[in-house]
Amino acid sequence: MIIKILFTAFIGFAGGLAVGAGFVAFLTVLGIIPRLTQLTKTMKMIHWYEWAVISGAIAGIAASLRDPIFGMHPFVLIPLGLAGGVYVGMLSAALTEVLNVLPILAKRIGMDGEIVMLLMAIVFGKIFGSIFQWVYFIHH
Amino acid sequence: MWGVNVLEKTIYLRMRQRVQVRPDEVVILKDMAQIIAPENIVASLEDMVIHRVSKQDQSIVIIDVMKVIGIITNLYKGAEIQTIGPAQTIIEVIYKKKGVSVPFFLLIWFLLFFGSALAIMNFHDDVSMRSVQEKIFTIITGRHESKPFLFQIPYSIGLGLGMILFFNHVFRKRINEEPSPLEVEMFNYQQDLDNYVIINENKESFKRLHDH
Repeated sequence: MIIKILFTAFIGFAGGLAVGAGFVAFLTVLGIIPRLTQLTKTMKMIHWYEWAVISGAIAGIAASLRDPIFGMHPFVLIPLGLAGGVYVGMLSAALTEVLNVLPILAKRIGMDGEIVMLLMAIVFGKIFGSIFQWVYFIHH
Repeated sequence: MWGVNVLEKTIYLRMRQRVQVRPDEVVILKDMAQIIAPENIVASLEDMVIHRVSKQDQSIVIIDVMKVIGIITNLYKGAEIQTIGPAQTIIEVIYKKKGVSVPFFLLIWFLLFFGSALAIMNFHDDVSMRSVQEKIFTIITGRHESKPFLFQIPYSIGLGLGMILFFNHVFRKRINEEPSPLEVEMFNYQQDLDNYVIINENKESFKRLHDH
């Protein structure tokens, strides 16, 4: 019995280690935290940002495994949704940048000057796609 | 006093990275390099013809610093030339100012627009975001709601905001003057292209077997 428990705990720990390391590696490659510190000039606070990511991940684990209920006002969801959206938006922007899509595309079609317009096409496309999905698509 | 004499004869050259010219133009040394030289020869150095742009040149010509040194030493025997910086200049022949065609631009714009809309919808479906959002709604408020718009609409707006924030186009002036990652990426890509043409368009950079 004790062997079974220890073995299960070990497998769970190993899985958590792999997923956690992968998550942090992904964040590091995309360079979102350096980008945010560069925008706000808060390089000295970078350790706090690390702990924000770690405690956020742990809070997410707790919420998804234990189903707590807080009974707060629904308006609390507005900043949460906004923060989540900004985070996913930055992830996808960083991913686009890593893949080097925009510079090559802009150069190919001779629009080096209008790259902001191309960027806006992607931004509005994402907003439109997301709103369309939540308001219409999934309910039909 | 001999040191002064030696210094006076030296010509310092720094080739420019990239020069744009019109077709059939004559490229003089002043256009493609910064020059420091003794006063009595600097004017004639500046107007020295290095290259005549012709039809065969197509759009890119690479002028190696060795060619420039060759031309200068032909005229001023025994001149001492010091070169600083790039070893070649890329001459870009601009044929005509090409305007961006509006239909073409609109095509690309809507391609990107609907492409990213579809991509984000597939992403949301892939990670089962709907059920996660409903669960978050239940955790926070204690009620079940199949349309948690209060979470979903700010999320959607935040999505666009995050992309703009990452590329720093809106707040560029206000927050800082550092280039955005996109501008750095454009620069790197141009640098790679320049490196490619410097090596591949320059006949002197290869020596092949059976090269006649």
